[in-house]
Amino acid sequence: MEEIGADAGEASDEADELDDVRRALRALKGEVEARLRGRVPTSRAASVDWEELFDRARRSLSTLGMVERSGEVDEFGMDEVVLSRAARLFDFLMDTWWRIETVGLDASTPRTPSLLVANASGLLPWDAIMIAHAVARAQPGVERPRFLVADWLITLPFMQPRLACIGGVRACRENAERLLRSGRPVVSFPEGVKGSTKAFRERYRLKRFGRGGVVRTALVTGAPLVPVAVIGAEETHPVLFRVTTLARLAGLPFLPVTPTFPLLGPLGLIPLPSHWQIRFGPPLDLGPVGPEAVEDELLVARLTEELRERLQGMLSQGLRERASTWG
Amino acid sequence: MVSEAIVDSPSCIAITGLGSFFGQRLALRLQAQPRPPVVVGLDLRRPYRLEGQVRFHRVDLTDPAAGSRLAEVLVRERVEAVVHAAFRRDPTPDLEYDHELETVGSLHVMNACAAAKVSRLVWLSSTMLYGPRPDNPNFLSEQHPLRGHPDAHTVRNRVESEELLARWRERHPDAEVTVLRSCWVMGPSFEDHVVRHFESPVVPTLLGYDPLLQFVHEDDLLDALVRAVLERHPGVYNLVGRGVLPLSTLLSLAGKRSLPFAVPLFYRLGRWPHQSATGDPPAGFYDYLRWLWVADGERGWEAFGEPAYSTREAWISFVSSRRMRRYR
Repeated sequence: MEEIGADAGEASDEADELDDVRRALRALKGEVEARLRGRVPTSRAASVDWEELFDRARRSLSTLGMVERSGEVDEFGMDEVVLSRAARLFDFLMDTWWRIETVGLDASTPRTPSLLVANASGLLPWDAIMIAHAVARAQPGVERPRFLVADWLITLPFMQPRLACIGGVRACRENAERLLRSGRPVVSFPEGVKGSTKAFRERYRLKRFGRGGVVRTALVTGAPLVPVAVIGAEETHPVLFRVTTLARLAGLPFLPVTPTFPLLGPLGLIPLPSHWQIRFGPPLDLGPVGPEAVEDELLVARLTEELRERLQGMLSQGLRERASTWG
Repeated sequence: MVSEAIVDSPSCIAITGLGSFFGQRLALRLQAQPRPPVVVGLDLRRPYRLEGQVRFHRVDLTDPAAGSRLAEVLVRERVEAVVHAAFRRDPTPDLEYDHELETVGSLHVMNACAAAKVSRLVWLSSTMLYGPRPDNPNFLSEQHPLRGHPDAHTVRNRVESEELLARWRERHPDAEVTVLRSCWVMGPSFEDHVVRHFESPVVPTLLGYDPLLQFVHEDDLLDALVRAVLERHPGVYNLVGRGVLPLSTLLSLAGKRSLPFAVPLFYRLGRWPHQSATGDPPAGFYDYLRWLWVADGERGWEAFGEPAYSTREAWISFVSSRRMRRYR
């Protein structure tokens, strides 16, 4: 009993001491404030702080919205903080703007890093972002897929840092192989520039699949190839015709003329709200073929063609089953 | 590893470019080894810091007869390994001199090694030699062609010297040649035009570009150099710190401001090769702040051990040392 009493007494002593310290600090603070008030001109606080305004303007101009980046990026420059902030926009696009339905995502997409092969559509990689986002949402905890971006787009100023933040990587075999080897799924568009510059009347007709790079990558890394048919994305920027000469000057492969662009200026860059469906096909496992088949040009060409036909079949089926483009 | 190092380590090591940062530091590190080898220093001027610690010989690599003079020294001193570090840290406005030193001088070193039957040659190179290109993959392996930069003459010279070295290696298959390609070096004491570019509180950048960069710490590079010369590591190695960081993050970490310039305007300025005389970055430098040229360091880490500093730590070590210097 006594001991407890003694303890309580000590505790109250300590509390008293703390109170003293607090009082002293408060007094000190009051004094400091009182003295400073005399020095700092009060009018300045009321007027605009030009220095800070200039600083803020300069910073936002110099980085154009890239300031709020986290310190850490992964080895391909993907930034989790930027991604989590962008997730709200992606969710909006996915659920409200394009009302995207995904088919076959859980059943057929293997959890091993796979090479997702999709039809290219439009100049901006909205389809790639949406595929990656759909997979990331459906399979939380698994590495987010990275998407491969054509050279001309990723080398544009302002484009490269932004795309890298959200998982865009320059399309080349070295990058794809490294990503797959490090356990990250990859979204690729083997049609390349030919695919994204398709005119509206050529929509959903797959172009040649490059020179077999996708199949070669899959063979070397042993990653399964998953055909992904994106239906609806090819109506987001219906290209009526292209202007080439003027675009070459700006370093673009061509300048698209759509019903809204360049008629409405930057507003024309807003993608049209078509109804999307993303179909994940059954994976094409090249494991039994083996990595040494990379050297066999004819086999690679045959496999590439097979993959293309499979994806074309999925696209045609999806188009037949689609009720309406905009509904 | 240790036993192999002791059995194999050369008892006499020559360093070309002794006065250079890495030449000097390497000589000091070698002296601090448990069984210090004899260090033969080759340069134009005798570095007073190393007085009495190295056997100094004055060799001018731009001299047309440098090859035979060098071979004579190597034979007389019974040199078993040569570290070639006589490269310019900063390009000079004298394009011809730089070429004589870096390309032709390197050729003299190779020829002298062949004549004196030196079996081990360690070459200090740079990942800048891969060149900043929009079509580079995110990680450049050692097999990637050295494409350099058309405007940067020192990079061109060194690409040429590495090509000469590759040809030399084919002709002398029994020589052990180690090429260390390091990325930009950061640390408390190293300084070159790259470091000076990042030293100022306002750093010029290119509007709309934010490349991923990597750094290696000066101590890590020196450790690797010591191991390359004392142990046996024939081949080409990229030497980089772990991790990459975007330029914008680096600057905000350091509390520096970026001063972005539009590309067309900047390139007009950056094409003058003589700019470096005024202390501005050399021609072609800004492409290194525009495109990717990150190297894959896996092979180097395997051979020379895990670096003590990551890219971020090397950068912070540089930034904090400069901050201290300002208040001294």
